[in-house]
Amino acid sequence: MKKLILALPLGLAVVASLLFLGSSSAKAEDENGCLTCHGNPGFTKTDGSGRVISLYVNKELVNVAAHRFIDCTTCHGDSPHNSNSPLTKLSLAEKCGQCHKYEYTQHINSVHGQQLKQGNSDVATCVDCHSSTQNPHNIIRVLEYNAPAFKKNISQTCARCHDDPELMANYGVVEKVYESYMRSFHGKAIKLGTYEVTQIDQATCTNCHGVHDIKSAGDPTSPVAGVDSLAQTCESCHKGAGTEFAKGFLGHKEASPDHVAPVYYAEKFFSALLVTVLSVGAVIVVSSGVRYGINRWRD
Amino acid sequence: MTTETRAIPLEGTQTETITRFDIHQRIQHIFLALSFIDLVLTGLPLKFSNAGISQWWVALWGGIEATRLAHRVGAWVIVMVSLYHIAYLIYTVAVQRKPFPVKMLPSLKDIQDFFHDFAYAFGIRKEKPLYDRYDWRQKFDYWAIFWGMPVMAGSGFVLMFPVFMTKFLPGWIVPAALVAHSDEAMLALTWIFVVHIFFSHFAPGSFPANTSIFTGKVSRQKYRKEHPIEYARITGEKLTVKDEHIADIPVPTEDDVK
Repeated sequence: MKKLILALPLGLAVVASLLFLGSSSAKAEDENGCLTCHGNPGFTKTDGSGRVISLYVNKELVNVAAHRFIDCTTCHGDSPHNSNSPLTKLSLAEKCGQCHKYEYTQHINSVHGQQLKQGNSDVATCVDCHSSTQNPHNIIRVLEYNAPAFKKNISQTCARCHDDPELMANYGVVEKVYESYMRSFHGKAIKLGTYEVTQIDQATCTNCHGVHDIKSAGDPTSPVAGVDSLAQTCESCHKGAGTEFAKGFLGHKEASPDHVAPVYYAEKFFSALLVTVLSVGAVIVVSSGVRYGINRWRD
Repeated sequence: MTTETRAIPLEGTQTETITRFDIHQRIQHIFLALSFIDLVLTGLPLKFSNAGISQWWVALWGGIEATRLAHRVGAWVIVMVSLYHIAYLIYTVAVQRKPFPVKMLPSLKDIQDFFHDFAYAFGIRKEKPLYDRYDWRQKFDYWAIFWGMPVMAGSGFVLMFPVFMTKFLPGWIVPAALVAHSDEAMLALTWIFVVHIFFSHFAPGSFPANTSIFTGKVSRQKYRKEHPIEYARITGEKLTVKDEHIADIPVPTEDDVK
């Protein structure tokens, strides 16, 4: 009994220290105190053309960002106030590429990067997939569950653009790629899977289309261009998959009389069967149920 | 068809109950029911993966790997039960020459009974049809499984081994199997959970459950009421089945009993 009483203050101490230690949150590296001014939401400047530009950096977001332990000057230079760099998606990608050289090279040769070089700001660059706020101050590492590039979230990240029919119409992408992916076993496995790291072997957009080096499906160098390279891509997970296996993929399209007709007719046959049999079943149950009720009431 | 019409030597005719199902039939039904429930519980969240409850349910099982494993175990059990049933069927019909599996074959009387039952439900006819060993609903349930099992097992096998199956079958067999598996499953589970559950659990005299398929036994009184033609054949008894509500059910004639 005495030993138990001794355990009480010990337990309290453990709980108190846990609370105390747990309360300290991550702080971003800020050697020069930049956030003293830039942490102020109303902090703006007006450029030569009269455009108001926000100079605000959200402390809460930057405190949990992947780059929180590198100082602002790493990206913004030693005299950040004198910099007058053009702020475009391309300049942003080039900035990331100063350290992430391999990813930058792949990205700039991808379908996104090639458009970026031509000044198209529709396309995705680093921050679009690596920050949930499309903000370079809030890059989240891919193995964190809330990262837009975390396996479970990738399809939704791609869907931000690729599920927008108006935007996709400009590029001739008429397939409902996100919906058809979510209908597939790959999509369902991602949807029903957990956020555990073991789930990263589930297939999502990037497993077939590539990651930083993503190509248009019409590009002959794409891993999904043509049934032979598609079969090779399938085989990276489905060992022994051949071209017939790859032909079983509906290409993000619904089956129709012109597109994989047997599947279309199977759909028609089974829905007709379903509707017919269940209608008969409903009539049987309702009519018998009413008769049982009448008989019971008469008794 | 030269079906023997001799009286079936069922035990228990002198006591209060009649043995309707033997041990094999009861084992087959219980394993069929258990594997079916398992397959429904682990298959439905995959079909309705967007529903929040599916995500919660799969997480409760321990993730999609756990439900997938449980679905495959259920699949092999239901296939084994089906093979057991086929073997049992061959043995009882060809070796033991028991007449009751033959009683499951559909006949003209089932179509007549189907319309007769509707007429009864709508009050056009005052008496229920007289059923033999199996009524048309029971026959439909049975033959629906004879259609459904090959569809479900065949398409499920394609989905379980897609790489292997596309070695010698065209690629579209995989998405077609998915369509067949998904729609046929919805048909089967809706039928079972609406029609079968209604008639086996909520019909008069069956609430809360018609236990004959579990115990194998039916009381003489119930047997006489629900399967009068079979009852007359077993007992050799001429009987007037009193319809509990409306009218006298005519005594089965010699033709009915055949």
